[in-house]
This record gives sequence, C-alpha cells and structure tokens, in this order.
Amino acid sequence: MNFLRVLRSVFVAAFVIATTSLVFAHHEPLAKFDDKKPLRIRGVVSLVDWRNPHAHVFVNVKTGETVSNWAVELESPIDLEASGWSKTTIQPGDQVAVTGIAARDGSRQMLGKTIVTAAGKSIFTVNVVPPPMPLQPHPTPKWTDGQPRLGSVPGGVQGYWAFPSATALVENGVTAPMDEWGLLKNIGDAAKVAPMQPWALQLYKERQERFLRDDPMYLNCKPPGGPRQFELAYGVQFVEDRARQRVFVLIGSGNNNYRIIYTDGRSHQGQVGGDDENPLFYGRSVGKWEGETLVLDTRGFNEDFWFTNGGLPHTEQLKLTEKISRPNMDTLKYDLTVDDPGAYTRPWSASWTLRWVAGKEMPRHLCQENRS
Amino acid sequence: MKRLGLAVFVAVCLLAVPVLAQEGHPLKGSWLGTWSGNKIHGNDVLLVMTWDGKNISGTINPGTDNIAIKNATLNPEGWLVHIEADAKDKSGQPVTYTIDGKIENLPLANRVVTGTWKDSRGDTGAFKIGRQ
Repeated sequence: MNFLRVLRSVFVAAFVIATTSLVFAHHEPLAKFDDKKPLRIRGVVSLVDWRNPHAHVFVNVKTGETVSNWAVELESPIDLEASGWSKTTIQPGDQVAVTGIAARDGSRQMLGKTIVTAAGKSIFTVNVVPPPMPLQPHPTPKWTDGQPRLGSVPGGVQGYWAFPSATALVENGVTAPMDEWGLLKNIGDAAKVAPMQPWALQLYKERQERFLRDDPMYLNCKPPGGPRQFELAYGVQFVEDRARQRVFVLIGSGNNNYRIIYTDGRSHQGQVGGDDENPLFYGRSVGKWEGETLVLDTRGFNEDFWFTNGGLPHTEQLKLTEKISRPNMDTLKYDLTVDDPGAYTRPWSASWTLRWVAGKEMPRHLCQENRS
Repeated sequence: MKRLGLAVFVAVCLLAVPVLAQEGHPLKGSWLGTWSGNKIHGNDVLLVMTWDGKNISGTINPGTDNIAIKNATLNPEGWLVHIEADAKDKSGQPVTYTIDGKIENLPLANRVVTGTWKDSRGDTGAFKIGRQ
C-alpha cells in the first residue's frame, strides 16, 4: 500500500513537472527575479489582478501569528487566456501552493513557476507553441501581378507573423547560446555575437551583466525599431497599401505604433515624418521588389532605443539592408545586413524566419505607463 | 500670490520633463555641469560632444566661449574620459584645459562624468557634468 502511495506521488510530481513550463514574461525575468533564489510559499489567495502586462496573484502567507502578503507574477493575460485560464480560475479565499523564484530586491514578490490548488490541480501553466507546419508547403499567396503577398489575403484566412526562429541578433555562423530575451548563457561569448567596437562591446557586456534591466522598450515603452520588430513574441503584421505604394508594419506588442515602408521609388530625402535633423525610432525605409524579395534600405535611426533584444548598441550611423521574402504560405524569411561604422568594425548579417499564424488576430499587448 | 502659483507650476513642469535616453555612444550629447574654481571661464560649463565612429569631437561652452575640443578619448575599461581643449583667457592669452574623469551611472539617462579639470597655468578643481 505504501509502495502504491509513493508511486502515485512520484507519478503526480512527474506529471506536474512535465506539464508545467516556466512562464515567460515580456521583460527578461532575470532582470527582476533571481534564479538562484528558489522560493516556495503556501497560503490563501487574497486577490487576482488580471491585467496587462502581467497578471498577479496575491497570496496571504501565515507564519506563526504573522500574515504577510506576497505578489506572484504570472505571464500576460493574453498568454494565460490562450492557454485556457481566466481571472476566475482561482478566487480569493482559495488555498494555493506556489513555487518560483524570488525578487532580486528582497521584496515580497516572486515569479510563479508552478501554482497548485488545494485539490492538487496545477494552474496558470502556459503552453504557447507555433502552429504545425503542413506536410506539403502551401504555395505563396500572390497578387494578380504575381508579386508575393506579405500579409493576409482579403476574403481568405487572416493571420499574422510570429514565432521567430531567432529572438536576438547574432551574426550568421556564430554560436552564442542565449535565452529568448537575448541574455547570453555565457558572457564570455559577448565578443562573438557581432563585430563590435570596444566601447560597444563593453556597453553590451554591462547591459548583459545587469540582466537587460535597462531595456528602454520595457522601462519607457520605447518602440522596437530596426530588426527588433521581427523578434517579438506577439508578432508582426504587414498591411500592404498598394494604391499608396507603401507597406505598414504593425507590431503586436510594445507601444503598438507602426513602421512605414515606402515602395513608390522615393529617395531618403524629403520624406514625410523625418529627415536628417529628426532621426526616428523606425528610421526611414524605402523598398523595392527584386523578383520575389522585398529589399529595404533603412537609415535615419535615433539612438533612443535598443534595436535588438539582448542590447547590442547602435548609433545614428546605422543603415539596414533588409530582405523579406515568403517562400511559402507559412514562412517569412528575414535577412538583415547591419552597417553601422559608429558601433561596429564592419558590416555583418543575420537571418531568421517567422511562422504564419493562420486564422487569428494578432494579439494586442500594450506597453502602458512604462510597464511591460 | 497668483504669480507665485504660476512660478511653482512652471517649475514643476520643467522638473517633470524626462531626461532623453541616449543608448548609443556614451559621450554623445549635451552635458551640463561645473568646473569648480575656474576663474577664467566661470564655474558653469556646457559640453556638446559627438562621435563619428572613430573620434570624439565637440565644443565647450558653445555660443559663448566656443572652446573646440582638441582631443577626447573614452576608455571603455572603467569608462575613463580624457578631454583636452585650447582656449583663450579674457586678455587673449592661450590656456589649455585638461579634463580627466569617469562616467558614472552609465546605463541611466542621467549619467554623469565626474573628475578633475586643470589648466596650463596650474589651476585645478573638481569637474562634474551630467547628460541632458
């Protein structure tokens, strides 16, 4: 009997571990929480705060005669709801056991890794995976003149691009393991990531050593200019305005503003919305189709943001050559060449792909009041 | 009383203006502060610096003294700043300034450079500028 009880406990524990992944936050979680400080609390739910950018569960923990209130940070309501959870999944008064990691600043906050109810149910697990690829690739959707469509087809299946195969810039051919926010597993790899000038390398290292906590995209809701808009968890969407010869690139997160790509043959001079005296977060993009690839020339960036997850620096001298193609219905190919003599010793390239998420609206995760 | 209220309101508005972040080269931008005890050019100092990918250039007190920065370096190991500039005193005699300092609060928008200044006549003092 005891053997069966032990076996059941092992099975339950294994099941919980197997089905529960560490929830991923929008900011680098290690900027706020310390993975060297595992924490386990047990108590009574006092409040469920279900709002952007992160849901929180507040738990009253009794120690002797003292009751202290803990804030447990979870993923965004967007991802929690996509995984089947809601703000009524648990109620104030419910008993829960929580494991996770503690806040670096010693406050009573933790990043929730597992939450288990008194009935033994594991809740608020997040399982966000890309849609399965079809066995046979579907053909690239095209306009009547044969030009590939980058966005949805009117009257057809709606969708958007997400699940980038790389979420931080690394020069092609370089192996430098990092997490999805661009935090290096080994700071010794920093110099390999891109051919940085000494000041840029040192700045990059220091941003990394501070766990990316100074990222202005999260601290100040600054736009994810440059290639960063194609690295985001909530994806991008192309709106092709052929009548006005421009493409709008919308983002599913950040401060929800947009980039304009002009395809009317204009030069970089005299564009609406920016000139040399007014550098921009998204720079000024002009594009033209070369065969089935949209080739973009973008310059005129300001220096008020990070142009990639992970914190590689850039300067106003940054010029990007981006090549965007859709080799089949479900794949977007993004090839980038970075030319910034202010921060790098030579031009360098990076490439990745994104997946088409069919039949869904792009999520709208807003960075609000400088919180994300 | 109304005037005082307006003055307080304006002061609060000015204080509330956020410092613009600058995530590129750490010295680029406008810096405002003091070089204490400078009898020739006064206590207050403004530096405007830029970075072309190879060199730091700029001006001390643009619009008034217009002292061109002759040589400036930034050593990323410790973020050590070295600036040299040739100026003239009120009688037109040459004076060379040397500033050595260090960037503090590097990741923050309100980073500062603290250190010392000295001139070719032997005067010296504390130097502190903050990025605007």
